[in-house]
Amino acid sequence: MALAAAASGARAGGDSFEPDDHSPDEGPAYFGFVKDVAGKPIRDAKVSASYKTSLTLVTRTNATGAYKVRGFKKEISPNDVTITCAKEGYKQVRVFRRPLVKGKPVRSVETECRLQRVQ
Amino acid sequence: MSAIHRICGAALFATLATGATAACAQATVVRYGQASSAARSIFSLPIVVAEREGLFQKEGLDFRVVIPIPGGSDKMIAALHDDTVDVTHVATTFLVRAALAGSDAVAIAAEFNNPIYSLVARPEIGKIADLKGKLVGMADPAGSIAISMRKLLALHGVREGDIRVKTIEGTPTRLNCLRRGECAAVPLGQPQDLVAQSEGYRVLGFSTEAVPEFLYTVTAARRSWAAANKDTVTRYVRALAASFRIIRDPQRRDAVVKAIVDTTGVSPAIAERTLALYFEPERKVLPRQGEIDLAGMAQVLAFMGEAGQLKAPLPAPERFVDLQYLRLAGVR
Repeated sequence: MALAAAASGARAGGDSFEPDDHSPDEGPAYFGFVKDVAGKPIRDAKVSASYKTSLTLVTRTNATGAYKVRGFKKEISPNDVTITCAKEGYKQVRVFRRPLVKGKPVRSVETECRLQRVQ
Repeated sequence: MSAIHRICGAALFATLATGATAACAQATVVRYGQASSAARSIFSLPIVVAEREGLFQKEGLDFRVVIPIPGGSDKMIAALHDDTVDVTHVATTFLVRAALAGSDAVAIAAEFNNPIYSLVARPEIGKIADLKGKLVGMADPAGSIAISMRKLLALHGVREGDIRVKTIEGTPTRLNCLRRGECAAVPLGQPQDLVAQSEGYRVLGFSTEAVPEFLYTVTAARRSWAAANKDTVTRYVRALAASFRIIRDPQRRDAVVKAIVDTTGVSPAIAERTLALYFEPERKVLPRQGEIDLAGMAQVLAFMGEAGQLKAPLPAPERFVDLQYLRLAGVR
């Protein structure tokens, strides 16, 4: 659990919103879009970024279907982080991660998630 | 959700170590909501120790931490309602607000009772009464920090009109105000109060002098989910209770110090002093076994009333808690 990098000095129990800046020990951002099978963006889909099974950061897509998650520490390899998406009335059909460039520091990881409406 | 899945490895070791006979345990997934702001703070200590000591595994739980991004006050209880988490860490004021707005979320165990805020002053200020006429940096006037500080000042004969007040959110920012000489005194949490003290600033008093009982953060669950998963909730509470016993055990002090250092990034010396501040003498910062102090909850409601967030008559503290899981876990 100590693998999440959060701002220091914040209060407990959710009574403050962390400032929008990187802490020095923070790893790459995970971002991308959630779309339906026709490629239309899906808003308010739940996106989970899970480090193995021990820690999950959860966010939701905006009106353009975009999401962004930050908060894992830099020692966590992007290869150990799994992106999944969900929305009521849909099932996940595909997750595609843009390949990382070898030899370059990873600042962000783009993953697209596709959902299909359940009949 | 209360998924069952198979876990082996470390969980198996822990299970065998406790004498259980299962060759490969059936573990129940428990998704625990945590604010990102709390993840690397001292407020995560009970959960960190429980994880490190394998206490959830011993109870047959596959414990998973889920952090909503962005965080924020309303996100933790909302995460219970949209099935993102099963139980969540939450400050009691937000639990109360959500419950009064119709949520069936209740506290099932205490996590942090009474956080200590130190009133730290410039070195030349010898006592609280010397603050009269000076600028004091304060937190949100409606928040528990400012209310407890006003009570502390009053205890030492300093009324609100006797000092000048500047609202400054966040312990690090208030410390900066003190350092640059603008503020004569500020309330600071740990570890910044200990750091300031080591720099020569003077601690004039603690919030706990004026507010001996409080219930700051709890584990909350929806009544409906908890009732449907009674055994799981009881096992969670039992693991949490065991964690508090370890935190309080002088023989385990090194392990607890290491947990604080690894989680918050402070030095071992500051971690040691933080624990000494909590326990030597006992200041009721942490519960003994996760027990919920109704007097502490009543104090929270009184603070909310004082801040204008609740109107009289104040609701009964029992409305916001469900003690049955503590009882089932053997916590009195």
